[in-house]
Amino acid sequence: MPKLSLMFEGKTVKEVPIGNRPITIGRSPDNDLPVDNLAVSNHHARVYYEGARLVVEDLDSLNGTFVNDLRVERATLHDGDSIHVGKHYIKVDASHDAPVPYDMGRKAAAPAINETMVLDTKARREMLQQAAAMGERTQFASGRIKVPTILVLSGKTANKEYILTNKLTTIGKSAMATVRLTGWFKPQMAAQISQRDDGYYIGPGDKTPMVNGTPIPGPTRLNDGDLIDVCGVRLNFIFRE
Amino acid sequence: MQIASGGATDVGRVRSNNEDCFRLVEPLNLYVLSDGMGGEAHGEIASALAVETVVKHCMDADINHAAPLYGNPPAGLTEQTKRLVSAVYLANRNIFKSAETNPEQSGMGATLTAMWVNGNALSIAHVGDSRAYLLRNGMLQQLTSDHSLVAEQVRRGIISANEAEQSDMQSVLLRALGTQESVEVDSEEQALFPRDLLLLCSDGLTRMVTEPEIAGTLQAETDPQKASERLIAIANENGGADNISVIVVRLESEPKNWLSWLFPGGRKHASKNGSAGGH
Repeated sequence: MPKLSLMFEGKTVKEVPIGNRPITIGRSPDNDLPVDNLAVSNHHARVYYEGARLVVEDLDSLNGTFVNDLRVERATLHDGDSIHVGKHYIKVDASHDAPVPYDMGRKAAAPAINETMVLDTKARREMLQQAAAMGERTQFASGRIKVPTILVLSGKTANKEYILTNKLTTIGKSAMATVRLTGWFKPQMAAQISQRDDGYYIGPGDKTPMVNGTPIPGPTRLNDGDLIDVCGVRLNFIFRE
Repeated sequence: MQIASGGATDVGRVRSNNEDCFRLVEPLNLYVLSDGMGGEAHGEIASALAVETVVKHCMDADINHAAPLYGNPPAGLTEQTKRLVSAVYLANRNIFKSAETNPEQSGMGATLTAMWVNGNALSIAHVGDSRAYLLRNGMLQQLTSDHSLVAEQVRRGIISANEAEQSDMQSVLLRALGTQESVEVDSEEQALFPRDLLLLCSDGLTRMVTEPEIAGTLQAETDPQKASERLIAIANENGGADNISVIVVRLESEPKNWLSWLFPGGRKHASKNGSAGGH
């Protein structure tokens, strides 16, 4: 079972397994991982599973939460990562967690294509409601509107924050690029992010970007909190609520 | 930018008639594709009427910029995109009216996806489940959202993209031309780079051929006409369950050698078009 280990001066202070419930971290004793240090806020951060992904979320702490020395609002955790709060650090022990590459497989035998039909507005609403009632994953889709956003953590860009609105967002030096890189020797189009029905995918441009420290093998689905490195610029992909 | 284009359509291996229709208007760099539906030969009427309306509206506007705009295109768009959205809106109205005056055509409809290139500005207007793609740096990216029930379910997180591909509800559209008096038209604007490649296709291609296969074929075959025909051949090899239509548009940077002054105006284009075969 995956676990978090609170470390201080090289020794393990406490270990907690990660289950269905979020693990809370903070100075207050009611936390799962209490950290007795004035630099740590009462309720500092929490770690939880979102689907198959392990996520750390800073709870607006005063001094911040750091993953592998990088300050984060929210980030996907991987096996071996370390979370720093104050002078303590928390070791992450999770077995599998990797970006999901785009399915390159051949198309399965196509289902019989029947006559195309169009649902009028009323029938369409009913059908979607029915489908929604059957689907278990609707709790993720309903209610909150999530805005895909790119935060610039380091490096030279025209702005510090970009909201992704188009089907395709380009990152590069070109005047036509959405996320415009400034400075010498930057490629016209370094990388690109495309919106598909099931999420956002980053793909190579003139450079191969890295997602969470790994060069991408091809178009790669972006998860909330992923870190993107391209041409000396570090970007954080998040869904803002 | 210099532009080369090609297109082809085929009835496929299962259907007896071709309800797809497409047109390359090379003098305007306008590309239009439609997939019709409806019993008898009415799908063919719908798709042909859709393509004809869009082409005519854009060509008229090219001569007379003050030509009226239909369907209140969103304000933030370029004039070119507004014109294209207006054209698709008008196509919807024409099909709807035709079905109203000819009761035997009742229930006919069509998808429509159109691209208009002006310098490095690309405008797209779209209704239905035909698709526009951009191939750039080896990455094939869909620039349109399918207006199908399964795609909507994926967007809402109800089913996965893989489940959508297996679904037997793929033919259920949420939006098409000709079924309602007015229609919401999607629009998209993109800046184009040299060596970009654009693809328009009907669902007869995308249900038979995977995106990696499409990307590979477009990279291997640089001639747009041959690439279109090759994609249709692959769709037929994989079963050809529906009509297949493909338009390929390739952007090339202007040759910048000292000979270029010898050929002012670039190459002359001939107008090509393809239309439903029918009976």
